[in-house]
Amino acid sequence: MEIKTEQFTELAKKELKNDRQRLFLKLIPPVMRMKREAGFGTLPDAPAAMACGAAIRAEAMARLPELLEEFEKNATANGMKVVWTRDDKEANEFIRNLAKEKGIQYVTKGKSMVTEETALNEVLEEHGIEVWETDLGEFIAQQLHRTPFHIVGPAINVPVEEVRDLFIEKIGLKEPTLDPVQLGYAARLFLRDKFHHVKMGITGVNMAVAETGTIINVENEGNIRFTKASPPIQVSVMSLEKVIPTMKDALHLVRLLCRSCTGQRLSVYVSMDSGPKKKDEIDGPEELYIVIVDNGRSKIYQDVKAREVLRCIRCGACLAGCPVWRQIGGYAYGWAYSGPMGQVLNPVLLGLDKTQELYRASTLCGACKSICPVGIDHPSLFLYYRSKDVLEDPIFKSKDRPWAERQFFRIWSFAASAPWLWNLGVRMARPFINKDARDGIISKTIGPSAGWFRKRDLPSMAGFTFHDRWKKMQNTESRGQKSE
Amino acid sequence: MEQSVRDEILTKLKAAPKAAFPARPHLPPYKTLSMDREQLIAEFINRLAEEAVVVHRAKDFPEALEKLTVVALEEGLKKVMATTDDVVLRLDLPAWGKKNDIQVMTPEDFPDRESYRDAVFDQAQAGITGVDFAVAESATIGLVHNKDQARLVSLAPILHIAIAPVDRLVPAYEQVIEKVFGNKKHYPSQFVFISGPSMTGDIQGVLFKGMHGPRKVIVILVG
Repeated sequence: MEIKTEQFTELAKKELKNDRQRLFLKLIPPVMRMKREAGFGTLPDAPAAMACGAAIRAEAMARLPELLEEFEKNATANGMKVVWTRDDKEANEFIRNLAKEKGIQYVTKGKSMVTEETALNEVLEEHGIEVWETDLGEFIAQQLHRTPFHIVGPAINVPVEEVRDLFIEKIGLKEPTLDPVQLGYAARLFLRDKFHHVKMGITGVNMAVAETGTIINVENEGNIRFTKASPPIQVSVMSLEKVIPTMKDALHLVRLLCRSCTGQRLSVYVSMDSGPKKKDEIDGPEELYIVIVDNGRSKIYQDVKAREVLRCIRCGACLAGCPVWRQIGGYAYGWAYSGPMGQVLNPVLLGLDKTQELYRASTLCGACKSICPVGIDHPSLFLYYRSKDVLEDPIFKSKDRPWAERQFFRIWSFAASAPWLWNLGVRMARPFINKDARDGIISKTIGPSAGWFRKRDLPSMAGFTFHDRWKKMQNTESRGQKSE
Repeated sequence: MEQSVRDEILTKLKAAPKAAFPARPHLPPYKTLSMDREQLIAEFINRLAEEAVVVHRAKDFPEALEKLTVVALEEGLKKVMATTDDVVLRLDLPAWGKKNDIQVMTPEDFPDRESYRDAVFDQAQAGITGVDFAVAESATIGLVHNKDQARLVSLAPILHIAIAPVDRLVPAYEQVIEKVFGNKKHYPSQFVFISGPSMTGDIQGVLFKGMHGPRKVIVILVG
């Protein structure tokens, strides 16, 4: 998948012109929000439940290495094979080699964000192994070669006409229809045949429980259950931050995750694997591989502040909550993760140099922070990344600000360092700034700051500073006293 | 090589600065925890209805079998797949099948995964299973998968009929987790929570049942 995070501004402009999509973005997020709020309303104390979610994820991150070891030990004792990989290449290579070795012709896949990140599908297909995404939305997105529009509904924006045409072309839809339900059933029939004969299934992992060595998947469609039950080989891929201390913690997070995602008390299926099938079982995996992917996370982990992004449980609530996402949708963010979640995650995974626009496309309104069930403070992370750019941090691959901006702030900080300099500067700048003023308001200007005025006005600078006026007042008063 | 990757990653993580984490806040108990038996049952049934699950209540197993016969007639069942868990065994489905002219298959009838998959995907009009747990909190049923509770029976057929003894109903997930994961030596290979029929809203947000798994779930509550 081509990474387009550097084209954010152009892509966003393009998306803004898609009227149908914008109508959709007006209609759906309020519904999602209502459902989410109703879902949280079923908890006895929703704010405490969210604070507890934050505490669990904070603890999981603080104890990450220890919990990973505990998970590995227990998962291995349960008969799973745990494989560690440094990056996308190693993870993809392991899965590709395994598939080759087992003579696999095709795999079915449950939605897995980390394999979007590692572009596993492309690698497998390059090596002649067919990949079938089986989550309906992910299936449509895959066939259209698009990134997920929304993490929970990856193709929820795609118009039915487009889905119909796609299904006619790709899955031999016989009776063209615009009914989403009939289209869904057509996909069901098509993918059912894949599930029926599949020999290797690939899934993601929502949570990996250290205490028991168990992996948990949360879903509504049943495609993950099929992918884990039908084939004799199961590969579950997890980024290394998925680990949770105990089963009780995991269940609390599942409560939050489902409510935050879709407003459900519980998703239709929550399946928990603690090892391959036993000998006497007829379905389930004979071999179960857990592929742990680092892909830059151990580096992020070194920074205690940036580490906070690793708390994310991928509920997607911040997307529909974000006033920017609600205008442009998910494609403009240019990679697997969109919305505020992507804005905090992509910069540390890809490097600040490739994601400059992402953490600047925010007014720091904090809507994301207020609904995050695990207490991620997105706005403070945006500011943190911006400060890294200014401080020229090589670890984050920061990028210098433009020359003019740097000079401007250099002069600014110099000018602000002594009162006389500041006053002099104000006096000198006043005629320049006020040259475009009409009736005390500046509505437009030319030059580099022109863009700022497209939707905003600035009051013109006063003719006299407070100090000037104060001095003048003092003089008048003292004169008045004299004449008395 | 793998060992070294593992060690490299863990060493890196361990070398990172340590951070404090907040204490867990006090959480008030779920309201289902303070309910009595009848309230729990009522809560469970009401929530099931919200999930569009059809509920039948039977006072005992013979009555449950009668309910099953009615369901089979309504749904036009001729061929079903049933698990062999302790709940289903109490119904003696082979005898019931003979009497009602319904072919009852079990996973044990098949010598290998292939033939079993053919049957459960293409032939079974319904999957009949017992449940190990019923949870009032979200009207969820819990199945412990093992040789008597094969995974695809509750998943592949378009109709899932679950037989739930009332004494297996608990207020919240914690009670289930305690029982399933309480004994360190005996974790099931898979445990699953099921809340209603399979569904999706992936095309334009239009919700519908029966995406990949069952389109319909019927719960027969016994006791």
